Amino acid sequence: MAGLSIENVTKRFGETEVLKGVSLDIADGEFVSLVGPSGCGKSTLLRIIAGLETQGAGSVRIGGTPVEDQRAADRNLSMVFQSYALYPHLTVGENIAVPLRMRRLNGVQRLPLVGGLMPGTRAVAREIGQHVADAATMLEIGHLLDRKPGQLSGGQRQRVALGRALVRDPAAFLLDEPLSNLDAKLRVQTRAEIAQLHRRLAATFVYVTHDQVEAMTMSDRIAVMMGGRILQCAPPDVVYEDPDRIEVAEFIGSPKINILPLEILPDGRLSLQDRALDLAVVEGARGVASLGLRPEALRLKSGDSPLRGRVVHSENLGSEMFVQIDVADLQERITLRATPEQRGALALGTPVALDFDLHKALIFDADGARIRRLRHLNAAASEVA
Amino acid sequence: MTRDWWKHLILILGVIIVIAPFYMMVSYSFKSPGEIDRGEGGFFGRQELMVDERCVKLRDPDRDDIAVAAGRFPGHSDSDIRDALLAEAQSDCSMRPVIFNYTKAFTEAPLLRYLLNGVIVTASIFFIQVIVALPAAYALAKLKFWGREAVFSLVLFCLLIPVHAIALPLYIMLAKLGLTNTYAALVVPWTISVFGIFLMRQFFMTVPDDLIDAARMDGMGEFTIVWRVMLPTAVPALLAFAIFSIVAHWNDYFWPRIVVTGNRDLFTPPLGLREFKGDGDGSFFGPMMATATVIVTPLIVAFLLAQKRFIEGITLNGMK
Ligand SMILES: Nc1ncnc2c1ncn2[C@@H]1O[C@H](COP(=O)(O)OP(=O)(O)OP(=O)(O)O)[C@@H](O)[C@H]1O
Ligand SMILES: [Mg+2]
Repeated sequence: MAGLSIENVTKRFGETEVLKGVSLDIADGEFVSLVGPSGCGKSTLLRIIAGLETQGAGSVRIGGTPVEDQRAADRNLSMVFQSYALYPHLTVGENIAVPLRMRRLNGVQRLPLVGGLMPGTRAVAREIGQHVADAATMLEIGHLLDRKPGQLSGGQRQRVALGRALVRDPAAFLLDEPLSNLDAKLRVQTRAEIAQLHRRLAATFVYVTHDQVEAMTMSDRIAVMMGGRILQCAPPDVVYEDPDRIEVAEFIGSPKINILPLEILPDGRLSLQDRALDLAVVEGARGVASLGLRPEALRLKSGDSPLRGRVVHSENLGSEMFVQIDVADLQERITLRATPEQRGALALGTPVALDFDLHKALIFDADGARIRRLRHLNAAASEVA
Repeated sequence: MTRDWWKHLILILGVIIVIAPFYMMVSYSFKSPGEIDRGEGGFFGRQELMVDERCVKLRDPDRDDIAVAAGRFPGHSDSDIRDALLAEAQSDCSMRPVIFNYTKAFTEAPLLRYLLNGVIVTASIFFIQVIVALPAAYALAKLKFWGREAVFSLVLFCLLIPVHAIALPLYIMLAKLGLTNTYAALVVPWTISVFGIFLMRQFFMTVPDDLIDAARMDGMGEFTIVWRVMLPTAVPALLAFAIFSIVAHWNDYFWPRIVVTGNRDLFTPPLGLREFKGDGDGSFFGPMMATATVIVTPLIVAFLLAQKRFIEGITLNGMK
């Protein structure tokens, strides 16, 4: 087990700069998720850590040791690939055994027939067999050990790939969307298994995923990547509630956060839809800005409000309900979270007025950076940290 | 169905054209010289007893033989004994044509030796070709290095060079090295097969990169990857290549004819056929065709055994 430290790593493929200086410190035993839109460089970063790709600049350390001059095979990392990458000619059991065989048996011992005659081979082979059986039991693929990968379903293959990575005791696990091909039920189950496994092994995990729920539920920290940079790396609740940038706020959270245009008046006060709010910035530029409001920060209001519109669509998920509201001067619809009991007041076409909690409002400047220093005007002047 | 009859007709015609020489070969190997000359006897010939004139001639009794045999024929004149011995020789030397042809094939020339040579040469060529082609193809398909495309273009270019064009310089080089009339002369010029490199490279291109990266993560070096990951996944393609290579070199007449001069111990099966080239009387078609049949049989058997996988290999879809 070891921590990872990535410093200012860059990478370009020909003309395109895929990583533009990525730094990330991962503590020993930490579970860090890398999330970001497709093509933002997550897999590339993982491959650089693994040693399968060389970085343009910057350094990677594993457990404090720089690994630039080490081949992938020598870095002692385990990786699960986005495609399963199982050896098609080996059975499931043999597939899972490969990393152990390569590391615990020498070249002669691995030879067919002759290897079996070498002293010590038998004992090691038995030990390997035991590890394989344990991994297979954990992933519930014990009954598949004698099959070839071609005879498995996508989900089964993915679990074999996981098994092959988990059978070893590496410095860190690198997982590239390991659950993307599982069905919803199996995904939830395997998600829980990986989380448990992480707790049990106390191993370092770097976990790439598209799925926010996976990232939010499993991680110690989430690193949000976009355009070749890590925009924010923080615990899940912080990334959700206290994003550093507008892109992070927009990427994390489903349904998406509502972004409304805002104006910062010369005196620093914020104005929404030409109505001054009881909120002002302390410093910084005036002019255009954005207001981010999570669907649960909004609530229905009777009476006057800067946000008025009509219900145009609603999705009832049973325990909660998401309602899309068309507000006159806004290009995008606003999403509101409501309880199913409020259904009556939210029939299609109903005019509604919306109110929100100023303490939950996220303010971003014209560049998309978060403005944290705010003054609340009607209460005694207070600052939100 | 009836509208398709002409397709079948064309196919049948094609089959006849392809089969005819084989039919003749096998049929001649069954027949007596007389039947071959007169073109009679159907496929198997009549298999009447025939007399091997050469065998009889060899046993033409001389004075000593008659003296030795005198004890067996008491009271006979020398010419009677002579006639009796001749009759004996005649009956000893008469046999069915099929037996005559095939025994001749194996006794007239050391055909087993030639077959063994054929196996040694063909197997060595294929084995070394694989050892060279797989790593080369792997590098060309999956490793990034400066000049890779240029090297691959060279490979393609080499595909265009006909063997016969470079036969003479090759021969001179081997002669200067003193290698003519050795197994090396038969094997070495063929050990680098550009076709093999090309074919395997095309197949390796279809192997996903992630598989190779996974092998690297599992602790394999590049050579281990070639032999433990690429080779097993490429078996169908390799089998296709094996057929091309083995058929070409087993049946090759041109090159062995050039580099093996005189030393019959190095003859490959096709050279063995020359032993029967008509010595004026043309009576050796039977044994010659028997030899030819013996030579092609291993190939046909091997092909039938490998047929299923061979067809897979040609379509290059052993994976995924
Ligand atoms: N070998 C390569 N050659 C050229 N460009 C590449 C190569 N590998 C990746 N890229 C480019 O780098 C960018 C990042 O790729 P990467 O695979 O890291 O994305 P990702 O974040 O993993 O995306 P996804 O979520 O879809 O897997 C992409 O634009 C891709 O086209
Ligand atoms: Mg990816």
